[in-house]
Amino acid sequence: MLKINQGSPQHWALRTLGIAIIALVVVWVPTQMSTSRIGQFSDAFVLIIAAMSLNLVLGFTGQISIGHSAFFGIGGYTAAILIKDHGWSPGYTFYAAAVVAFVVGCLIALPALRIKGIYLALVTLAVAVLFPTLVKWKKLAWLTDGAKGIDSVRYDELPEWPVLGELKGRDGRAVFAYWLAFLVLVITYLVCRGLVKSRFGRSLVAIRDNETAAAVMGVNLTATKVLVFGASAALCALAGVLSTLRTGVITPEGQYVTLLGSIVFLLIMVVGGAGTLWGPIVGGLVYVWLDNTTRGFGSESDGVIGFLFGWSDQSPATLILGLALVIIMFVAPYGLVGLIKRLWAKVVLVVPKPAGTSLSTTGK
Amino acid sequence: MERLLQYIFDGLSLGSIYALLALGLVVVFRGTGHLNFAQGEMAMICTFFTWQFHAWGLPLVVSVLLGMVAGFALGAGVEVSLIRRVAKKSEAGVFVVSIAMFLGFNSLAGMIWGNLPPEEMPSLFPDEPDDFVKIFGAVWRYEYIGIMVVALLLMGLLFLLFARTKFGLAMRAVASNPESARLVGIPTGLVLASSWGIAAAMGALSGAMVGGLAGELTSLLMFTPFIYASASATLGGFDSPGGAVIAGLAIGVGEQLAAGYAPGWIGQELRLGVALVTIFVVLLFKPSGLFGSAKVERV
Amino acid sequence: MSLLSITGLAAGYGPLEVLHGFDLEVNQGEIVVILGANGAGKTTTMRAVSGMIPRRGRVEFDGQDISTASPDSIVRLGIAQVPQGRGTFADLTVEDNMMAGAYVRRDDVQADLERWFEVFPRLRERRTQRAGSLSGGEQQMLAIARALMSRPRLLLCDEPSLGLAPLITQELFGVLQKLNAEEGLSILLVEQNANLALKVAHRVYLLETGNVVSTGSAAELAADDSIRKAYLGS
Repeated sequence: MLKINQGSPQHWALRTLGIAIIALVVVWVPTQMSTSRIGQFSDAFVLIIAAMSLNLVLGFTGQISIGHSAFFGIGGYTAAILIKDHGWSPGYTFYAAAVVAFVVGCLIALPALRIKGIYLALVTLAVAVLFPTLVKWKKLAWLTDGAKGIDSVRYDELPEWPVLGELKGRDGRAVFAYWLAFLVLVITYLVCRGLVKSRFGRSLVAIRDNETAAAVMGVNLTATKVLVFGASAALCALAGVLSTLRTGVITPEGQYVTLLGSIVFLLIMVVGGAGTLWGPIVGGLVYVWLDNTTRGFGSESDGVIGFLFGWSDQSPATLILGLALVIIMFVAPYGLVGLIKRLWAKVVLVVPKPAGTSLSTTGK
Repeated sequence: MERLLQYIFDGLSLGSIYALLALGLVVVFRGTGHLNFAQGEMAMICTFFTWQFHAWGLPLVVSVLLGMVAGFALGAGVEVSLIRRVAKKSEAGVFVVSIAMFLGFNSLAGMIWGNLPPEEMPSLFPDEPDDFVKIFGAVWRYEYIGIMVVALLLMGLLFLLFARTKFGLAMRAVASNPESARLVGIPTGLVLASSWGIAAAMGALSGAMVGGLAGELTSLLMFTPFIYASASATLGGFDSPGGAVIAGLAIGVGEQLAAGYAPGWIGQELRLGVALVTIFVVLLFKPSGLFGSAKVERV
Repeated sequence: MSLLSITGLAAGYGPLEVLHGFDLEVNQGEIVVILGANGAGKTTTMRAVSGMIPRRGRVEFDGQDISTASPDSIVRLGIAQVPQGRGTFADLTVEDNMMAGAYVRRDDVQADLERWFEVFPRLRERRTQRAGSLSGGEQQMLAIARALMSRPRLLLCDEPSLGLAPLITQELFGVLQKLNAEEGLSILLVEQNANLALKVAHRVYLLETGNVVSTGSAAELAADDSIRKAYLGS
């Protein structure tokens, strides 16, 4: 086993190597892979952003929301309406969607967060089910186009990015959507990271671990929770905007706009590792991979898999992930990321700095 | 007048199904303090069991009873094998597991039965177009009457179980103070498993009736009834069985009246909205519900 | 003859060990008091005997090993506990509380119900009221009556005097002493109030941070200078 001191040159080398590998993969995907593969990665990025936003609420305050599909939908619809009906440039819709979702999120959080446990779950459940119903409501059809949804949301010019230059026959729009999703993902990651490591973030963890103690320590519980919920809703709306921009379509029955979306986000977060920064990333990639590889099982596969799933054309991905969810609750509370960390710790041990020095450096 | 009567009657009949499901939620909540998010999906899969028994040639009534037995086993099994173990680790975990079950049962039903053409689900009651009586001008279909009677009968039996039997006393004792219940020698594990079993069995019955009404089975069968049941339990108070029944009936009637008298406004799309807005309003102004004790945890 | 015999009892909560392995004995017809300060492990001892928490060591009741028995089978064997803070079923009626106490019995319990209503007439007056609406003293009576409904041979009482007015405490202890004298009911009592404890006890165990530090008859302990200083304040 390798022992490395935290902050030593070896530690930095290791981290640099990790970042380099990730960067290589990120660049490799849009330049070397097929258009459909690029689309799958973009889809994964969108889901990762949504799961990260959920992680902010659940992972760091210990509260559960299954209403995030509504924020995803709010983002998607805001973008679609602004672009189609009002001729906005797509870039600005991100800000608009974030603001709308933040306000709605805070409004929902105000009553919901005064209570907890199953009642919060109920309110968010109601939000998730109500949103598609409202969108389909004929009194709102002038805005949302009712059940049929809004399609052909198009934007014309692609910016002249150097990476877009060498498309080699790939769909420029897909590559652009990929980089856009990646950019938002990085921003979301940095926002989450910043929140977690800030004083504000530590107060979140205080809430999660002990509400009474947090109250005694002077953390303003309600305000903190409402703000976190609003921020989380805003981030999730960004994912919705990305999805609409990529596919050009949003409907009330869309994949991630209904309750199922919220469940998928939850799944990704928990399987990847709830309360960890990298959990949603790992979970999102695994989910999209599983979803795509298992989709054709019933119709195409032979052998055991074909026998097991032969009598159905439904993808077993949700069943597999549902089972994974249960297993993870029992054996790996920090999900796949927790497992990877545990395995990694057997190969390389990063020795933390002595307490004294780390205390003096964190103040900077 | 006829219209009003018609709406009230239809509402009571549908409401009795919501009440049945809501009672299941309440029984589970009182016992373990959890919201079983998968209550509707468990009912759905039990309805498929019922359909399967019937398809194998058993009489429908026997199939429904077997479906309820299967439901009891499923509910109790889930409590013993999953819920109890996860609850020791974290409260949020129980919710995550119930979401996983929601997903799992849904996907399982789709995989086992989904490839067949939509299943015809016969009704337990006469449901030909002319099976009705007219009372004061309102059409009272036999099927609706049957649903109401059966649902109310089962709920009556359940209240007898709660109030008059030793096991019911044990259930109430566990709900009131689990620690003391163990100290007086009540096998709390058995009681909790039974609570989940009873809730799932009631779900199986309501599933059979909803399926009969719809005429066919899909994996989405119980989702809407589950939302209505959640709203009923919220309105009545999650720890009040009587409240859940009254609220279930009230929401059934309210939904019919709203959809009937304001078709332009509410229409078919927003019907469910009635239930969802109920959840919001109740939790905003009276989180313990109309009949619940104020034990709702507040921050 | 020894009714309850404990050897090397160790127990705790998760990784935290509270009891570090001590011996304790209750003979048939005895009132034994466990005396100790807050955090000494008195309640943990009670919970360990009742099977509410995992424990190590050997616990025997009437010659039968109950070290790994479940709470309900322990009640069935004849040990009933009056938990600290009374632990009544607040939203059940007084009568339902007592009936729940008789859960493990298969025979007719109506006569017992009447009997304990004789002993605690105030409970009879309130038999249809919710237990939560009772006063502290009444709830303590109810908790004792509920425990007695299972016809125990050994009654475990966890600080019945807690939060009660001295007069009511005296009344309760009078009842316990009477039950002991007339019915031969063995009682294991936890107390912080040493004066009270030494008055009713036949024998006393002194518990400090999870170990028995002293034991003897009530008179012996009352005569011990250091104990008098520490626990009796004189």
